[in-house]
Amino acid sequence: MTLLRRLAGVGIYLRTLTAAALVWTAIAWWVRNPVLLPPPVRVAEALWGLAMDLELFQNAAISLGRMLLSLALASALAMPLGFAMGMSRLTEDLVDPIVEGLRPISGIAWIPLALFIFGIGNTLPIFIMTYAAFFPILLGTIAGVHSVDRRLVNAARTMGVPRSTIIGRVLIPASLPPLLVAVRLGAASAWTAVVAAELIGAPSGLGYAIEWYRGLLMTPQVMAYIATIGVLGFACDAALRWLNRALTPWQPIADVGSAR
Amino acid sequence: MTATVAQRAARGFMLPVALILLWQALGMLMHDVKRMPIPSRVLTAAVDLVGSGELPLAIMQSLGRVFGGFAVAALVAIPLGLVMGNVRSVERNLDPLIESFRPIAAIAILPLAILWMGTGTAAAVFIVSYAAFFPLVINTVAGVKRVERNLLQAAATMGVGRATMLRTVVLPGALPSIGVGMRIALGVAWTAIIAAELAVGAKSGGGGSGGVGQMMFVFYAYSVELNRIVVCMIAVGCVAYALDRLLRAALARAMPWTR
Repeated sequence: MTLLRRLAGVGIYLRTLTAAALVWTAIAWWVRNPVLLPPPVRVAEALWGLAMDLELFQNAAISLGRMLLSLALASALAMPLGFAMGMSRLTEDLVDPIVEGLRPISGIAWIPLALFIFGIGNTLPIFIMTYAAFFPILLGTIAGVHSVDRRLVNAARTMGVPRSTIIGRVLIPASLPPLLVAVRLGAASAWTAVVAAELIGAPSGLGYAIEWYRGLLMTPQVMAYIATIGVLGFACDAALRWLNRALTPWQPIADVGSAR
Repeated sequence: MTATVAQRAARGFMLPVALILLWQALGMLMHDVKRMPIPSRVLTAAVDLVGSGELPLAIMQSLGRVFGGFAVAALVAIPLGLVMGNVRSVERNLDPLIESFRPIAAIAILPLAILWMGTGTAAAVFIVSYAAFFPLVINTVAGVKRVERNLLQAAATMGVGRATMLRTVVLPGALPSIGVGMRIALGVAWTAIIAAELAVGAKSGGGGSGGVGQMMFVFYAYSVELNRIVVCMIAVGCVAYALDRLLRAALARAMPWTR
């Protein structure tokens, strides 16, 4: 039954995308300017060419690598801080004003200053993405710790469980679901930032490739790279959703897509 | 152990003040790095930029684009979301298209927008409406679906027509969720406009289309005034904060039942 449903879903998906491709072809035929709007066939050709050159995979690997590194960095910074802030009033009072003061400044607004500090290269996109992923993960961790049932902590405490064990065996597992949602939000926000950061200040990566081909007025290649960014963004989210399910099988998956 | 409100507020000031003082001290010690931004210079730069009217003008330009793009997105996305939420077949058929484009960040579309519309306001407004479209449409659909079935059935039993139903039952029921969508959309719209202006500045040789993002790029690439860049960053943060606060207040006023 569910398989049939899935197949029907795939059918509708293909039908809609085919219809969209036909409309696109018609408009492209009407515009008659392959630089402005190449037909989908040309974009597919460009995608194939870029893939055969391995250029597409190189740039994708660079961007994905930066993304993973930044996500790891942001988690390593934000999660301990989030646990500290969630567990201690004092820490939260001390640090919260700084967090709330910096949070409205988007990662992208840091690009000019970061360009000056780091120059064009690998560090700039990693810095911008780490910054972009940091806040969702931090806030999610704090919310996760706050959402833990106090009775569980108190019960453990009454039974004389030491603090470190409470953190390891009670707090972390109980706050895992919101925390993983937070990582997904962080990944989404980092992936948005990577394009901006690479577009302006990196000598490689997907964002750079888009801008490079725009400069050459090779629109099919531009569109092929844009599609790649979309597919990879979707794949990253799907992978994290899978991780979510694997790590917290007791929890229904929250749809965080709306918060993008 | 329990701290009073005043004590908690005082704690809140401690670390930021300490950090700013530390930053100032470091900057004064490292006076060989002439361009390093330090708080006192940032403050004078802020007074300069606000006093000369440059910064307020740039903010107004950026805000104008954000509101324009946001309005376009809302005019398309909210009615579309209402239809998609109400008519199952429309949703099933359009959803693949929306889900295919949603993972593509607005900034990735920017090169195409520049190609189609040049480096002026039109491209910026396009990027903003693209960015704002997705949160709006998705939250509208979710809001329509969250309307209580009992209410719909009660209204249907009383012979309410489709149009009245939409206006008096579905729309008010979906409004809180639409409001959430608007807040998210306004936030991403503001981020997108800064990115778009920055990138346009970077790639068109700093043409004069204005806006805060462009201003920052000019300070980076031409006059190299880091203090002024920091002022712009603070302004970007303040505007983002103010936009969210204002919209939240307006929504709370429009929907007193959600408070």
